[in-house]
Amino acid sequence: MIKFENVSKSFGSIVALSNVSFEINDGEFVFLTGPSGAGKTTILKMILREYLPDTGKVFFDKEDITQIKEKDVPLLRQKIGIVFQDFKVLPERTVAENVEVALAVTGVEEGEWEKRVDHVLKLVNLSKRANLFPSQLSGGELQRVSLARALVVNPKLILADEPTGNLDWDTAAGIMELLEKINKEGKTIIMATHHQGLIKHSKHRSVELKEGKI
Amino acid sequence: MSIHTKTAIEAIKRSPFQAVSAIFVLALTFFVATTVAILVYASNKSLSYFETRPQIIAFLKDDAKTDGISALQNKLAIDIRIKDVKFVPKEEALAIYKKATEDNPQLAELVSPSIFPASLEFSVTDLKLAEKIIEEVRSEAIVDQVGFTANLGGEKSLGDVVTRLKTISYYLRLGGIVFVGVLAATSFLVLLVIISMRMTSRKGEIEILSLIGATPKFVSSPIVLEGIIYAILGVAIGWTTSFIMWLYVSPSLISYFGEIPILPKSPVTYFLLFAIILGTELLVGFTLALVGSLVAVKRSLKKAK
Repeated sequence: MIKFENVSKSFGSIVALSNVSFEINDGEFVFLTGPSGAGKTTILKMILREYLPDTGKVFFDKEDITQIKEKDVPLLRQKIGIVFQDFKVLPERTVAENVEVALAVTGVEEGEWEKRVDHVLKLVNLSKRANLFPSQLSGGELQRVSLARALVVNPKLILADEPTGNLDWDTAAGIMELLEKINKEGKTIIMATHHQGLIKHSKHRSVELKEGKI
Repeated sequence: MSIHTKTAIEAIKRSPFQAVSAIFVLALTFFVATTVAILVYASNKSLSYFETRPQIIAFLKDDAKTDGISALQNKLAIDIRIKDVKFVPKEEALAIYKKATEDNPQLAELVSPSIFPASLEFSVTDLKLAEKIIEEVRSEAIVDQVGFTANLGGEKSLGDVVTRLKTISYYLRLGGIVFVGVLAATSFLVLLVIISMRMTSRKGEIEILSLIGATPKFVSSPIVLEGIIYAILGVAIGWTTSFIMWLYVSPSLISYFGEIPILPKSPVTYFLLFAIILGTELLVGFTLALVGSLVAVKRSLKKAK
């Protein structure tokens, strides 16, 4: 599903990625690990086409996404669900509205929204919080809103950038359980983390980065 | 309600003072635009009134025969430079005189119909042609004298009135266009500033939307819609205020100007005139908001990149 081929990226004199190559198959759960500044987020941002590599190719479903036109980038992103460390939920919208936004963005018929939002909020155990605003939720709940928003559009791939970084151990474990559940349903998950405890507890493959190299 | 409309209304509620200032400036622009449009209409109507009155009166000789009069009337009627040809017999001329002197009936009793000559009254399509036509009519055998709207004081004074009206009309139009233009430009800039501020305050939201795959159109729709809401409210308030003002002053103006039709006397025409102005203003307001919002959105998105 995802293939990096000799990808390098520098920001001025700082080398973020150096000749990186790896492949992730459909339905796989892969950790991107390494210390801060190792290049984990850069990889995720390249998959989202936020960054373009200086050299090399990035494939998503066999298509070289470094070559797609700017106007087609939203279409690429609509196929990907993303979960952020800082949640990135819309503060002035309720939980349900935050999830609905993703459906609106992908152009899903409004008549389908309620059913899909209910389903996904049930999945992340937030049904009772549907009408609350983000300021009324805990960190773990906010992360589950972020996850629900990523899932509701039924993406093929989920990118999670340190999704447990701002959470305590128990809450992080809860989020991990959810991600495992989603992975078992056939979604491909790439999770950037430096949380060694989580990686040790899991049997999934890790791609370890250090100073931009695997 | 669509998600974009909801977002736009929420944004207006969140910053009511920005919204009020945008609506106020737009309302002022469209109030002035409506007022100027009516003033230009009134000046055009009064100009047209004076231009199309029976401007030339050919007084006929006493011995003029009916055949000769008919022949001349027909000749004038088919001349494309001439319009509204009317024959006024001696009796009608006396009736006009009597009406004009009805506050002093003794004056009417002193005269007999034979004193007043029969005449042919007509207007010209363009006042520039008047002098040549007068010369031609004067040379007709049955014509005694040719007058140039005597009740306005003769040839020169009518020309003066029309010239003066044309000058007033020109300056009114020019002044109106400049004033409305300046206000429209101010409205455009205010919209631009407010929409840019809105984009800045929504920066975080725009970033999130963009990351989850929102197209630039999706991001800009609520903002453009917000601009359009301002424009519609601005037009509605500005136009309604001006309309109420004109409704209030119209009876006095119509009565003061008498037969000069500066404003439509028929209610249907009156409301139609204002409806046309409203339609035009809505179109202009919509365009102003659309262009202003799109420019602001484009600039902000470009900066964000």
